[in-house]
Amino acid sequence: MISQFFILSSKGDPLIYKDFRGDSGGRDVAELFYRKLTGLPGDESPVVMHHDDRHFIHIRHSGLYLVATTSENISPFSLLELLSRLATLLGDYCGSLGEATISRNVALVYELLDEVLDYGYVQTTSTEVLRNFIQTEAVVSKPFSLFDLSSVGLFGAETQQSKVAPSSAASRPVLSSRSDQSQKNEVFLDVVERLSVLIASNGSLLKVDVQGEIRLKSFLPSGSEMRIGLTEEFCVGKSELRGYGPGIRVDEVSFHSSVYLDEFESHRILRLQPPQGELTVMRYQLSDDLPSPLPFRLFPSVQWDRGSGRLQVYLKLRCDLPPKSQALNVRLHLPLPRGVVSLSQELSSPEQKAELGEGALRWDLPRVQGGSQLSGLFQMDVPGLPGPPGQGPSASAPLGLGPASLSFELPRHTCSGLQVRFLRLAFRPCGNANPHKWVRHLSHSDAYVIRI
Amino acid sequence: MTVGKDVSALFPDVVNCMQTDNLELKKLVYLYLMNYAKSQPDMAIMAVNTFVKDCEDPNPLIRALAVRTMGCIRVDKITEYLCEPLRKCLKDEDPYVRKTAAVCVAKLHDINAQLVEDQGFLDTLKDLISDSNPMVVANAVAALSEIAESHPSSNLLDLNPQSINKLLTALNECTEWGQIFILDCLANYTPKDDREAQSICERVTPRLSHANSAVVLSAVKVLMKFMEMLSKDLDYYGTLLKKLAPPLVTLLSAEPELQYVALRNINLIVQKRPEVLKHEMKVFFVKYNDPIYVKLEKLDIMIRLASQANIAQVLAELKEYATEVDVDFVRKAVRAIGRCAIKVEQSAERCVSTLLDLIQTKVNYVVQEAIVVIKDIFRKYPNKYESVIATLCENLDSLDEPEARAAMIWIVGEYAERIDNADELLESFLEGFHDESTQVQLQLLTAIVKLFLKKPTETQELVQQVLSLATQDSDNPDLRDRGYIYWRLLSTDPVAAKEVVLAEKPLISEETDLIEPTLLDELICYIGTLASVYHKPPSAFVEGGRGVVHKSLPPRTASSESTESPETAPAGAPPGEQLDAVPTQGDLLGDLLNLDLGPPVSGPPLAASAVQMGAVDLLGGGLDSLMGDEPEGIGAPSFVAPPAAAVPANLGAPMGSGLSDLFDLTSGVGTLSGSYVAPKARLRSGFGHTEASLSRAAPAVGHPEAGTPGRPGRVLLLIPRLTWSSPGGPGRCGPSESPLQVWLPAMKAKGLEISGTFTRQAGTISMDLQLTNKALQVMTDFAIQFNRNSFGLAPAAPLQVHAPLSPTQTVEISLPLSTAGSVMKTEPLNSLQVAVKNNIDVFYFSTLYPLHILFVEDGKMDRQMFLATWKDIPNENEAQFQIRDCPLNAEAVSSRLQSSNIFTVARRNVEGQDMLYQSLKLTNGIWVLAELRIQPGNPSFTLSLKCRAPEVSQHVYQAYETILKN
Repeated sequence: MISQFFILSSKGDPLIYKDFRGDSGGRDVAELFYRKLTGLPGDESPVVMHHDDRHFIHIRHSGLYLVATTSENISPFSLLELLSRLATLLGDYCGSLGEATISRNVALVYELLDEVLDYGYVQTTSTEVLRNFIQTEAVVSKPFSLFDLSSVGLFGAETQQSKVAPSSAASRPVLSSRSDQSQKNEVFLDVVERLSVLIASNGSLLKVDVQGEIRLKSFLPSGSEMRIGLTEEFCVGKSELRGYGPGIRVDEVSFHSSVYLDEFESHRILRLQPPQGELTVMRYQLSDDLPSPLPFRLFPSVQWDRGSGRLQVYLKLRCDLPPKSQALNVRLHLPLPRGVVSLSQELSSPEQKAELGEGALRWDLPRVQGGSQLSGLFQMDVPGLPGPPGQGPSASAPLGLGPASLSFELPRHTCSGLQVRFLRLAFRPCGNANPHKWVRHLSHSDAYVIRI
Repeated sequence: MTVGKDVSALFPDVVNCMQTDNLELKKLVYLYLMNYAKSQPDMAIMAVNTFVKDCEDPNPLIRALAVRTMGCIRVDKITEYLCEPLRKCLKDEDPYVRKTAAVCVAKLHDINAQLVEDQGFLDTLKDLISDSNPMVVANAVAALSEIAESHPSSNLLDLNPQSINKLLTALNECTEWGQIFILDCLANYTPKDDREAQSICERVTPRLSHANSAVVLSAVKVLMKFMEMLSKDLDYYGTLLKKLAPPLVTLLSAEPELQYVALRNINLIVQKRPEVLKHEMKVFFVKYNDPIYVKLEKLDIMIRLASQANIAQVLAELKEYATEVDVDFVRKAVRAIGRCAIKVEQSAERCVSTLLDLIQTKVNYVVQEAIVVIKDIFRKYPNKYESVIATLCENLDSLDEPEARAAMIWIVGEYAERIDNADELLESFLEGFHDESTQVQLQLLTAIVKLFLKKPTETQELVQQVLSLATQDSDNPDLRDRGYIYWRLLSTDPVAAKEVVLAEKPLISEETDLIEPTLLDELICYIGTLASVYHKPPSAFVEGGRGVVHKSLPPRTASSESTESPETAPAGAPPGEQLDAVPTQGDLLGDLLNLDLGPPVSGPPLAASAVQMGAVDLLGGGLDSLMGDEPEGIGAPSFVAPPAAAVPANLGAPMGSGLSDLFDLTSGVGTLSGSYVAPKARLRSGFGHTEASLSRAAPAVGHPEAGTPGRPGRVLLLIPRLTWSSPGGPGRCGPSESPLQVWLPAMKAKGLEISGTFTRQAGTISMDLQLTNKALQVMTDFAIQFNRNSFGLAPAAPLQVHAPLSPTQTVEISLPLSTAGSVMKTEPLNSLQVAVKNNIDVFYFSTLYPLHILFVEDGKMDRQMFLATWKDIPNENEAQFQIRDCPLNAEAVSSRLQSSNIFTVARRNVEGQDMLYQSLKLTNGIWVLAELRIQPGNPSFTLSLKCRAPEVSQHVYQAYETILKN
């Protein structure tokens, strides 16, 4: 069972320390942990560390270390899950999780810990259940104001939707502001997908997978019913087919326990009564068989002159998104052979940027329109690199070059094609305006790797 | 307080605030008390009254708060006052209070166990398992599990089908955390039969799709454990296997920390049941943004899953990884390519060419790693890929790491006859001899001796130089002793030296880096715990008696194979081909000693598990793994003492007798006089160090053969070459006693058809052969030879075919066999590889012999002895089998078995069942004890076999079947 729990700041100062079992050691343990963590050799895993009979398991969240210790042979999964739940929970109660909020809300955090863990046994981590027991109010640094919403156009000028929630809107405590009813009626629904792709050097696709989830953050009173309509062509598993179109297919779906699936089979509607706070309504994954073309293709060509040590890399990046969509914050990261000394570049448009750093080439493209094609020509000098024998330019890449990886965000785009058709609330507050509903779709890259 | 300031001085003032009605304030006061009560025990008493009062507060929150806080104040005086309120709270009407009180019992037990027992709280806690509220049930289970762990003998958590049923019901209703407690508790239960196991599995399976990974893994643990009891033929078994894969794959999309823990567990699962994830290779491909510890784990699992079907894909990936930037990862990837070559024979060629490509890159660390790996490939496939040696030699100068240098030197020495300038190459290393690391020095010494034996004329000077460097100028005892040994060997008897140094080496195999099976089984019981992350049993890292109860998988009740090993060699391995030596495995110590040296088993009990690793090797090929495991115990100078006392502490008594036998033997050896005994013992210890360093240096691919040390050891000690392969599944064994089987069909042997059978008559084993000439030409000059086999079977006389065998003629011969041949464990245990030669060609075939030809006539044990031995053999060695459809009664069974040298020692009648206690002895001195249970009217008998070498049990059982049914 869990012996101790503590939260350390990024510098290793203990913010919260709680002992459940009357173990000796006290706060020195926190220091011991930090020393151990920072002194760990590179290839050793920091996930589970031990010192004598004490085992440390930790996660890092928003710059804080959340650490649990135990002296028994218990499940590391439950500790890891617990720590990440605690992070969510603290976020729910204190607003966002961070050094400042934690030190402002020490009493609240201890109260929470007392209810979540008794003698090292996890009791509950549900925001909803805990609400019955928690007395302390969160201290929030600055009150949330709707004026923050003025930062419309988060996703670029093209945004026509009048209501786009700023990403900061969701970072206030779910459970504070009991008095202020008008601000409570908000629901945030995000469809977020992570895309992992592996493309071989000959351009063939080795692996694709998409991990998606529908996340909900609700400020509505608990138990208010809502219905989420998904794309009707949505099907699960390899065999199922719906409608006449190609359909939107995923391999596996799992739902949160508060979701009722009675309308899911027939109409693809999720009915749920969410508790206040954040939850993941649905999680799904899809591999190998993507309905739409990949967002990016990269066509590299490499000239490598061993004699003069000159390396020339020409990269052509084609964005295969529909013309109306765009990708933001595109960054290409290309590891280079050791000892690259200089870089000269020719880029196809002015807002791009390329630079060398940490043994790699970084090519930043702030925005890439769907259907467009961008290119960059990079020349580098690599003196003294071992390579295949023979003089003169050759097309084979020297060692240490590649693989290229891309990171990007695709706002209002899901790679699986899944969309939220509607979000309907059964809840009608008396005498108040309609609740605000915010729906976002977002895909971003997890590991998008192109071998060269 | 929360920032670390000591505010204990305010204690009285704070206690005054305790009686407030404000819940928020009360909580803060209680928080303060928990922190400071221990430092001020006297003042803490002041708070007791309020606690007791609060325990009767109308508000359940306050009642629970009071009882929870009191439990956390670890002051003895307070605990006395805690009992009454706790008793009330355990029966409280509010579930929130009850669940808090349940945990409080565990707290109190930790402070004062006697008090809890005296007050009868344990019984109340047991009642709470039937509570209507699942949260209360979960906490009660958690508390009881913890209390039960500190009293392993007590029967606190009395798991029976009824209580299990209750738990399974609560499982569906309680929170995810409660589910974890309950599943962990279920995992400790052993169902009584496979039906019950299946029904529990069915009810646990839905947990696999839970969002909480801890629930998933606890469910996987229960399933993996109970699956052991299910028969593999069951449809349900297959369904279950399919259901295990998706949740495991899903875990790999979690955060890196969870991924890592999941991968460590998957690593165990894949070793136990590779079929679960065999189609999921792709999910283990490394992502560039994985942390390094996740990458390395994925790499390891990729190798474990590699098979002929997916090897191309795996190799392509590995080659990519080998060109990445991270040096550690690149090294591991190169090693992985070598492991692929060793694991999947068909891929060896491709792996070698991949490695050559990598060597061409000339990147220093890649080249070095590749050479180390190629050395291992040479050891697995000798004389197959020498063409690459030239390429390797080109890179000689760039090697600067000792391991790579040692590997390269080994290669040069091993293939000295094919490298024209081998002497120059080795000479170049010799120049800086004293600057090299020990590893390189030892290799260099061995390599030059090898070279000398291969090309004696040109290299005499070189060998003298290295011998004097090693013996006179070196301070290292390992090196010096090895030098002396070579020197004496070379000067006494060069022919013997040649036999020693250039002897055939045991092949290495992929399995060397698997977790040893008994440990694996134990770890499977700990899936989803810290043990599964460390890959160590909990006793290795948990303090004291807590949670260190040894767990083992439930035995399979069905009559099929006892344990299946997925990696068993194909049953009819191509004849003539050498079987792989797997030096690390096998708790065969017992029969090893018997087989070879023949002392009776009735010696001290064999601490099989403790000596497992080393013992086999010690007698077999290299001394490596023994020393690799326990280097410090062996290098002790006490080893030099007279043989009988030369027992390293960690090997325990049984090895002692074995070793002393070994040493006794050596003293009688002709080539070496008895006075050499002591130096030899030291030699052994010296080798210990060298091997230790070598095998630790190359943990990835088996044990490097490490030059010669194994071989002189072997010959000096006059042990015939003993190598053992995995004791895996002795299950595959064909029918044997059928009259005349065709062993070698005519079309495979250019017209010679051989069929035959084995018999034992009057103490003589014979192989009855029938040779038929189906060719068109006359056959003459017959001869027969056996490959080394488990029981040392060998022809006792030449194959006598008196007249030439003309076409279509058949001749019947009875070939007497002896058991004095050389011994090597075969897979399956009773397989025999035979070579038959005639004027046309040499033909190979392999056959299985029934074990009962090996049962000797004096196999009757006396009763006392039987009892003592039966008790002595650990229960893990017991195997149970069903003999079906046998209509005989006890008398008939007994007499029929007796005619095959299975002797009934005693007979008892228990509750209408006849129990026959029987003993038998194999030609190599292994005793097998049997208990045969016969129920009148029931044609199925139950046979329990106990033997120190449990792998024979399966075959003994088959012998029983054959005897009883013929």
